[in-house]
Amino acid sequence: MVAAHYDVVVVGAGGDGPVAAWKLGEAGLSVLVLEAGPFYGNEQWPKPNEQPGAESSSSVDDLSGRLLDEQFTTRELEMIRKLVFGPADHERGFWLRKFPGDGAILQCAGVGGTTLHYTGCHPRAYPASIDEQPHWPVDYADLVPYYREIEAMCEVTPAPVTAKEELFFRGAAAAGWDLIDGLNVTEPGYRPQPNAIRQPDPRLHVDAGYDGDFTYPEVDGDTLALGSIAGHPFPRGAPYEEKAKRASNVSFVPAALRTGNVTVRPNAFVTSIETETAGNDHPEATGVRFRDTWSGRVESVDCEVLVLAAGAIETPRLWLNADLPKNEWVGRGMTIHFGDNVMGLWDAADLESSIGQDTVDQFQGQDIAARFDYPGLGMLQTVGTAPGIGAILGFGSSASGFAFENDPDDAPWDTLGRLAGSELKRLLSGYRRTLQVLVVSDDRPHRRNGVTVVPGVEDEHGPIPLVNYEPSTGDRQRRDRLAEIAAEILRAAGASHVHRSDSPPTALHVHSTMAMGKVVDEACEAYDVGRLFVADHSALANGVGGANPTNTGQALAARTADKIVERYFAG
Amino acid sequence: MVLHVRRWLSEVWERLESLLTGEKPDESDLDLYVEVTLRAVVDAVVPETPELADELGPEHVPGGLAVGMEEFLVTFVDDLFQFGFPHVGTRGNLPLSAPLVEVLDAAADALVAHGDNEAEPDVERVVALLGPGDPPARRVRRVAGTFAKLSRRDRLRALGILDEFELRVAPFGHGLFEFDAGLVGQLVVGFAEMIYYSEWQGYDDFSLPPSERTHPNDPAAVQSWRQTGYPGVADGYAALRGYVGTDDSPLGAGDTWTDIDGRVSIVRESGSFRENDYDTTGYEEPYPE
Ligand SMILES: Cc1cc2nc3c(=O)[nH]c(=O)nc-3n(C[C@H](O)[C@H](O)[C@H](O)COP(=O)(O)OP(=O)(O)OC[C@H]3O[C@@H](n4cnc5c(N)ncnc54)[C@H](O)[C@@H]3O)c2cc1C
Repeated sequence: MVAAHYDVVVVGAGGDGPVAAWKLGEAGLSVLVLEAGPFYGNEQWPKPNEQPGAESSSSVDDLSGRLLDEQFTTRELEMIRKLVFGPADHERGFWLRKFPGDGAILQCAGVGGTTLHYTGCHPRAYPASIDEQPHWPVDYADLVPYYREIEAMCEVTPAPVTAKEELFFRGAAAAGWDLIDGLNVTEPGYRPQPNAIRQPDPRLHVDAGYDGDFTYPEVDGDTLALGSIAGHPFPRGAPYEEKAKRASNVSFVPAALRTGNVTVRPNAFVTSIETETAGNDHPEATGVRFRDTWSGRVESVDCEVLVLAAGAIETPRLWLNADLPKNEWVGRGMTIHFGDNVMGLWDAADLESSIGQDTVDQFQGQDIAARFDYPGLGMLQTVGTAPGIGAILGFGSSASGFAFENDPDDAPWDTLGRLAGSELKRLLSGYRRTLQVLVVSDDRPHRRNGVTVVPGVEDEHGPIPLVNYEPSTGDRQRRDRLAEIAAEILRAAGASHVHRSDSPPTALHVHSTMAMGKVVDEACEAYDVGRLFVADHSALANGVGGANPTNTGQALAARTADKIVERYFAG
Repeated sequence: MVLHVRRWLSEVWERLESLLTGEKPDESDLDLYVEVTLRAVVDAVVPETPELADELGPEHVPGGLAVGMEEFLVTFVDDLFQFGFPHVGTRGNLPLSAPLVEVLDAAADALVAHGDNEAEPDVERVVALLGPGDPPARRVRRVAGTFAKLSRRDRLRALGILDEFELRVAPFGHGLFEFDAGLVGQLVVGFAEMIYYSEWQGYDDFSLPPSERTHPNDPAAVQSWRQTGYPGVADGYAALRGYVGTDDSPLGAGDTWTDIDGRVSIVRESGSFRENDYDTTGYEEPYPE
């Protein structure tokens, strides 16, 4: 049974919430984590999409690798349908958000949050994005000890090389870029991803002639099968905590439960924030109300400190839907790493001579294992996808219309735009000889971009998030330059055809909607509401330079937990 | 040029408004109208392509209609979003397929009104998509809208003009609700492509609860997997080549498996990244705002 009062309530068990819960639990505080989505891989919910199951889980003994194996089939359509932000009940659709154009927001619901989809890439922010851009009130150096703590917990190591990474590295080197080997990146160059995925069993080397099963305990660590976006339960047969991908449900949730002080209640959508204003005008958070997504029953819980970790769309939505003071930056300044997709297609003979096999086979290896960094611009990363996700992310939409309407002329790509019809089928017939590069740009916070709500346009949890995003000229220039570099690298790697999507804004990485220095102070406590902290990517002051954000979001959440203890529970 | 586009857009907008707030087609024909229109969508997005037979092989000829994707698309679209009316419709889901096809026709009408279509709309294109066991051509001719009558390319062109609009839909009489017409393109192009190229066709029945579905995970059961060469999901691959390394970096170590460019190679064992000193004082904004 969930109690009526906790020291701390954390809203959201996504990438960052469990980090705060773990640290606060370690400090001896009683913590309740309320999560809108289901709890996969937990004995309390054997059929999490079909039956309401139990109420909450407080023990690491509830975690089950066998259930994760069952529930995470890695079949792409099924897993997108299961994981994307929506209620646990499989008969009900996604929770609706409004987003401009034919772009989309990709976030997950469930314990682990969007790290259930994520590909485990854990680079640090570019130091210059924190120390040289005008947004952050703290220094990069303040984050470094927390990065170390998170990287140790997530077991971050250099990603392994399979055929597709070798192909990319060959292209990057041939295009004249240098290798980077440091964690703190200040110059452009390429490197293996620092991945929060355990390295593969050495017996899986191409020369080792392995012909056994890819199941635990025969193999330990990653098994080099695609599947991060689709849940990644590998190695199959392994206990819950021995799964290779250290998403927050595998890394931080068990650690939090093990403190003995943390309870996780899934299927609990928080809809309002309770405050009290005593003496002065400054309200203080005292608890939340939440709705059980199966029964519809509304309950409430009190706390000494409230931590919002519902992600960079829902955290500001929750604030805006609660009766809290106006702050002109709540929900605003959203960055999404305004992205693009550039892909190369190779002739079989050219592949044979550069990587010794006539296919790329992007379904082998870790999903995203090679990267290119450029502080000030952003990053590139290779992406292996199964064909369906590859099609929707890479070809299904474009801000330039369909490829047949465009003549790219002397651009560095041969074709540009959305693909459909025979062009699509022709390109996808070369799926095994294709490598996709994701462009991730360092877009900057602009007040016009972000989340608003209007009364009337609401679902069962109140007014829904209306999201606006319009990149600036600088954002576009950074993205265009990165797309050119991607094309040059693919060309230098021998691609015979290069295609650029010119994707519409699509939010895989969402940040800075409750920014430090604007909405929350240097400890991530709200300026306008006492005892209310933000511990998710919305507290980031910008898009961390374009590097994958989770390492930084988690480092900041760990730091925020320390600040909470210092401010409210010391002595 | 800007004016031209703007006028075009405002025509589509007016048409949309009148359609969405005005009379709906006769209920009994509505399902057929939705299906016929989504059939035209599937035929444009993942068409049958006899022209690819010589170039790529006969397995590349059939498209989405050969596997009945239009029917799945209707249920998929109708169940995709829920909107918090648990007592209405299927579990409170938002039945979007009917407004969606009306929007497609509005866009098609605007394309034609502006003369930007490459070929005249022709109802026989719709009839040509019928197979044995389908409703009579006479009924199909009666319900078919402009979108379905366009050539494949013109259907795609019509989709392309939707991104800039706000749509108003009235779900269950709960008042007008606006969403962006770009969602239509996302559903009928992006999602349609994802469904077609995913494992979808291999399920016995996707509408069963997840724990009761079966999937053979075999390209024999999934046409698109045969067209892409995707082998299905796997538990693992013995595909490790090693780790990046150089003589003077801690990243990797051990025997060289292959050389990248004389300095960098792929080596047997992993090392680690350096906790390097950093200095950002020389940072310059490549594109100052
Ligand atoms: C396909 C894909 C790949 C990615 N790969 C990477 C990668 O390799 N590296 C990287 O750094 N990042 C990656 N990301 C992004 C990364 O996953 C997110 O940035 C990160 O998970 C954000 O953490 P968060 O805690 O801010 O939000 P989330 O992880 O989204 O967590 C928010 C949680 O709060 C819950 N919630 C929301 N509203 C409420 C409410 N009102 N009440 C209760 N609970 C609520 C949600 O259900 C969710 O579980 C990827 C994203 C995608 C989509």
